Amino acid sequence: MMDLRLWGLKKSPWVFHLAAASCNNCDIEILAALTPRFDLERFGIVLVGSPRHADALLVTGVTNRKCLPRVLRVYEQTAKPCLVIGVGTCACSNHMFTDSYNVTGPFSRHIPVDVFIPGCPPKPEAIIAGVAKALGKL
Amino acid sequence: MTEITKQFQRRFADSEVQAWNPRRYYLAVERDKVVAAAEFLFREIGCRFSIATGIDTRDGFEILYHFSHDASGVIYTLKTLVPKDDPQVASITPKVPAANWIEREMKELLGIDFPGHPNLKPLLTSDTDWEPCQYPLRRDFDREPHVKPKPWDDK
Repeated sequence: MMDLRLWGLKKSPWVFHLAAASCNNCDIEILAALTPRFDLERFGIVLVGSPRHADALLVTGVTNRKCLPRVLRVYEQTAKPCLVIGVGTCACSNHMFTDSYNVTGPFSRHIPVDVFIPGCPPKPEAIIAGVAKALGKL
Repeated sequence: MTEITKQFQRRFADSEVQAWNPRRYYLAVERDKVVAAAEFLFREIGCRFSIATGIDTRDGFEILYHFSHDASGVIYTLKTLVPKDDPQVASITPKVPAANWIEREMKELLGIDFPGHPNLKPLLTSDTDWEPCQYPLRRDFDREPHVKPKPWDDK
């Protein structure tokens, strides 16, 4: 049963893009990765509008106190198994916000993360490489 | 000096006008004149309310209301100083609705009270993980108890 689900996940991963208090730069690069020039869709990767349809969660930004409950709620809504991918240095290690009063640490402290894509912002090529790596893990 | 600053000084005689450069003027008023001055700039001159700034300075909290006069491209900044032991100034939101959220933010992060504001609830800080009456943008705010351990210390 699990193999069948993983097989389905691998064919065409549907991605929910969760901007968790990011500065929008990573989000713009994710959109750039989806445009025809880089064309993530050739791997069958599609952005979906609801976490309930998602096979993968693309999280950008440093998770602050206000949005941590929302991130957890979205993660709980996704159907498991669900790949979690942290995009950008903020999602990996808090970047320059690590001394802030409002930061709850990288979100990998709160939910299990499969792949980190560092960079501020990561290039679309790096995002594609990271997603391919995540698919390779399956 | 522009025509608008002259009008402003005629209306508010004890105000102080500083020219920063030809496209930037600071209009300093006492805090009981702020609402009247904001209404004058917004309703009579027709300036657009751009944003407000709150700063914790040595002499008190400085509040800057930035009004943009789009016809001439000049920014007029209404400036007032409130003492630290009594940080409040009348809200301009009933007269200038765009000031709603920035006054909420100043209340929340600097602790400046705005009597007359229609909805002075917290805006940015967490509603589950933050105790009220802690003002992170004040100079005497101690952030150390709030900072989480560093990610590179994780085992």
